[in-house]
Amino acid sequence: MMRKVSGSKRGASRQNSLAVVRRRLTRRSFLKLGGAGLAGAALLGVPGCSGGGGGNGNGEFTFAMGQDTTGALPGLVERFNQQYEGQYVCNYREMPTDTGQYFDQLRTEFQAGGGDIDVIGGDVIWPAQFAAFGFLVDLSDRFPESERGSFLPGPVDSNIYEGAIYGLPWYTDAGLLYYRQDLLEQSGFSEPPQTWEELKEQAQKVVQDSGTENGFVFQGADYEGGVVNALEYVYSHGGRVLDENDPNTVVVDSPEAAAGLQTERSMIEDGVSPQSVATYTETECEPIFLRGESVFLRAWPQTYSIAGNPQDSVIEQAQVGVAPLPAGPGGQSVSGLGGWNLFINAASDPEAQEAGYEFIRFLTSSEQQRAYAQEGSRLPTLQELYEEQEVLDAVPVIELAGEQTLQNAEPRPVSPFYSDMSLRMGEQFNASLNGELSPEEALQTLQEELEQIIEQGQNTVA
Amino acid sequence: MSAASASTGRGGTLNSALFYVFLVVFVLVSVFPLVWIFKMSIVTKAELFESPPTILPNTPTAASYGTIFADPSFQKALINSTIIAGVTTVICLFFGSIAAYAIARLRFRFKSIVMTLILAISFFPAVAIIAPLFIQFRRIGIIDTYLAAIVPDVVFALPLTIWILVAFFKELPFDLEEAAKIDGATTIQAFRMVIVPLAAPGVFTTAILTFIFAWNEFLFANTFLFDDNTQPVTVVIPNFATVYTVDYGAQAAAAVVVTVPLVIMVLIFQRRIVSGLTAGAVKG
Amino acid sequence: MTTTPVKQKKRGGLREEFRNPERRTAYYMILPALFIILVVAFYPIAYSLYLSFHQANINVVGNFVGFQNYVLMFQNTEFLEGLRNTLIFTVVSVFFEFVIGLAIALAINQAFRGRGLVRAAILVPWAFPTVISAVMWRLMFQDQVGIIQYAASTLGIISDPILSSQTLLLIGAILVDTWKTTPFMALLILAGLQTIPGEVYEAARVDGASVWQRFFRITLPLLKPAILVAVLFRTLDAYRIYDLFWAMSNRELESLSTFVYKGVRISQLNFAVGNAASVFIFITAFLIAIFFIKGLGMQTSTEE
Repeated sequence: MMRKVSGSKRGASRQNSLAVVRRRLTRRSFLKLGGAGLAGAALLGVPGCSGGGGGNGNGEFTFAMGQDTTGALPGLVERFNQQYEGQYVCNYREMPTDTGQYFDQLRTEFQAGGGDIDVIGGDVIWPAQFAAFGFLVDLSDRFPESERGSFLPGPVDSNIYEGAIYGLPWYTDAGLLYYRQDLLEQSGFSEPPQTWEELKEQAQKVVQDSGTENGFVFQGADYEGGVVNALEYVYSHGGRVLDENDPNTVVVDSPEAAAGLQTERSMIEDGVSPQSVATYTETECEPIFLRGESVFLRAWPQTYSIAGNPQDSVIEQAQVGVAPLPAGPGGQSVSGLGGWNLFINAASDPEAQEAGYEFIRFLTSSEQQRAYAQEGSRLPTLQELYEEQEVLDAVPVIELAGEQTLQNAEPRPVSPFYSDMSLRMGEQFNASLNGELSPEEALQTLQEELEQIIEQGQNTVA
Repeated sequence: MSAASASTGRGGTLNSALFYVFLVVFVLVSVFPLVWIFKMSIVTKAELFESPPTILPNTPTAASYGTIFADPSFQKALINSTIIAGVTTVICLFFGSIAAYAIARLRFRFKSIVMTLILAISFFPAVAIIAPLFIQFRRIGIIDTYLAAIVPDVVFALPLTIWILVAFFKELPFDLEEAAKIDGATTIQAFRMVIVPLAAPGVFTTAILTFIFAWNEFLFANTFLFDDNTQPVTVVIPNFATVYTVDYGAQAAAAVVVTVPLVIMVLIFQRRIVSGLTAGAVKG
Repeated sequence: MTTTPVKQKKRGGLREEFRNPERRTAYYMILPALFIILVVAFYPIAYSLYLSFHQANINVVGNFVGFQNYVLMFQNTEFLEGLRNTLIFTVVSVFFEFVIGLAIALAINQAFRGRGLVRAAILVPWAFPTVISAVMWRLMFQDQVGIIQYAASTLGIISDPILSSQTLLLIGAILVDTWKTTPFMALLILAGLQTIPGEVYEAARVDGASVWQRFFRITLPLLKPAILVAVLFRTLDAYRIYDLFWAMSNRELESLSTFVYKGVRISQLNFAVGNAASVFIFITAFLIAIFFIKGLGMQTSTEE
């Protein structure tokens, strides 16, 4: 088990500003001290090393990814293993479905040397956080700029950290506005709302006419989804979190951002959303809309396929319309970028890395992306696929919302300390939505907190 | 043995009526969530989310139970939970009762230090131990085996086991043991022949508590066990989800399936506990 | 009060201690359990202690920084919030668990019809896995479908959504914990009650003691060891509360342990501070235990 835990190799790959501190007692060498102690636990009768995951020189490697609730992923892995039989073997290790839990688990894995996992399917906000600590293989040579143009720009950019690229975009996600086409028509609206103001007007009218319980539900809880939602308001009002040219400058405390949060808060103040929207995640919002108890819903593309399912849904798919999110006063509509990328673990064997990269090329090929769209309703990251009718049929939601939505999707702030920032943003955005703090107060606090994180980050590691 | 038989005396019917009211309220409060969750497990998804909630299910359905039992990982998880909790309990009781006996009955100098050391593990937040343990478990190669959950479960349950058993053992009539020793029995024999039978109820109570403790453990299992072959129910149940929504019906059904056996087990064994306790109150 | 208190020898020396066959047996009997605990737990604890005095992130340990991480910890608002929540939670929930648990234990210690049923019923909450019960209670607290939120707002007790208020969440967590672990208290106290010989009461009754006198003069003192064990373990458990807060509040409600979790498993910056917090928990929990043992006279052995 001790095979690939050499601290020096890790040290060499840590090429950037995080080249850390003076005394280089790596954790691993300290941890070895403790190993002897725990070896005692082996007395409990355990046969030693079980061989683990990674490559054993026979093209075997391990692929980690959260459990795919559509069930399509094991099929993809199976196809790979058949196609490359005798050459590579991919072992799929299911990770927690919950993205937050998956992240925590991966972190522990990396902390332990990480050599058991070779290919990682990860959230679009992870690359900077893992790359900065030297956990991911730099793929700039294997995935040159000339090849990147065929992918959607947002997902590609999400893999770039300090000029190098650490992953390939696998499938994408973007926030969309779902609406009740039938109810809107009954109230005389032929078009979905173009701006947040229009959304409120329509919601109020439709609620009055139809007696629907809620006008609009979205994810306002203090968690990652709440951050994405709030940022959609901030971005569409022209606000930013970090300076685009200098990621070490925090610019979140701006009138634009405040206007954005004010608009989000006004959903509650104007009676369009319930007060409890500040506690909602996807889990709460979706059933409300699918039960027919809300006129509008902000959700991810997958929700559309559930709308047709009588098991989960009271309303019919025909009653549901999909549109880009409403725009701010400047006419700008911004969707939060979601989705998943594929990375290679810097601590795995070179052979396993090779095999893993083949697997990544396989998954991101147009053939397999098409298949995943059809079997798992995942949105492809290859632009060309959006011109194919069979793909559009598989994910009709995109045709409805317009492919432009995907082009406009904006990532969350890129930072090695995103986890810390996200915790702060989640709390402050939620406080503003809740009414505990005014948007200005929340942003002022957030500005200070984010600045502190950046400063602390520079001190700890630079 | 009915020590505080207050209600049978002067208090009369009013007291005993109050007594039963108290009991009924208490039982209702205890059981209500299980009943409610049972209700959640037999309604349709639409009804599950109805507001205001229905009290009695409109159209009972076993669909949620169908979902969980169609899932092979759930059955495997039940087996895994039983193995992990069972082995943990056996190990804890074996080492725990030996240690507790020594602490309760034998004279030696460093007793307080030993007790404090044992207790010390209960001072430390389990969340902080995870990462170092993960690294060590990987090194000795028990990650993703039952042992990876059993070892920390034992360590965190042992202090409780030992302390409870010490408290029990100290109350036992050890004059009998002395008598046995005078009759020529060794310390170990005295322990086995005299103390073990008398201590059975206390040990049994401890066993139940340890078993439930291990059965309910989530954090270690969630961190150290990766797949269906080893994961217990506490890890598997929260993962019953459809594409983006959590399947609450299936979770509720699974919660019922996981809890009912424990309740039945307690129902069966509580007679033994009671009778054991009765026997324990030996006169003189 | 249990057996003949034997005078501890002043200073016998280690050799003599081990020469005595009874004592040697005692050490042999304790060693396995102690070994298991120390081998698994000692290293992680020492490691946390080491990290808490260094500049450190997830993969590199830097300079020795003295108490800097502890200073940072006490400046951290989340930590202070976690500390406050943990203290309130621990004191209030353990208090209610003790009072109700004692009442239940006294009640079901009597012979009455259906005792077995009651005894089984009280174990239902305890048998529920915490993660599952947290998810289920969250659903019951939820505003659209939750029966409790529905009942509470219909009765006019609260108007705010329970899950949106930190205070209500904390109260909810106390409720759930009390519901869940009172049986544990009751069972331990009951087991203690069963060891009190009946004739003690007979003697007291003959002497004309009232019910309350019997309770305070006989039952409670005799129950003290069992009560202290139960309360100490509940206190230490509550003090380290993690999974209930985490799952029920969707990671929102802060406790000392959730702060540690965020530090060592999520944050890229508070890794060392998280370790400092776990050492803080360790030391303060130790003080709590000392208080029980010294302050309340909890027995750790038959000899004082």
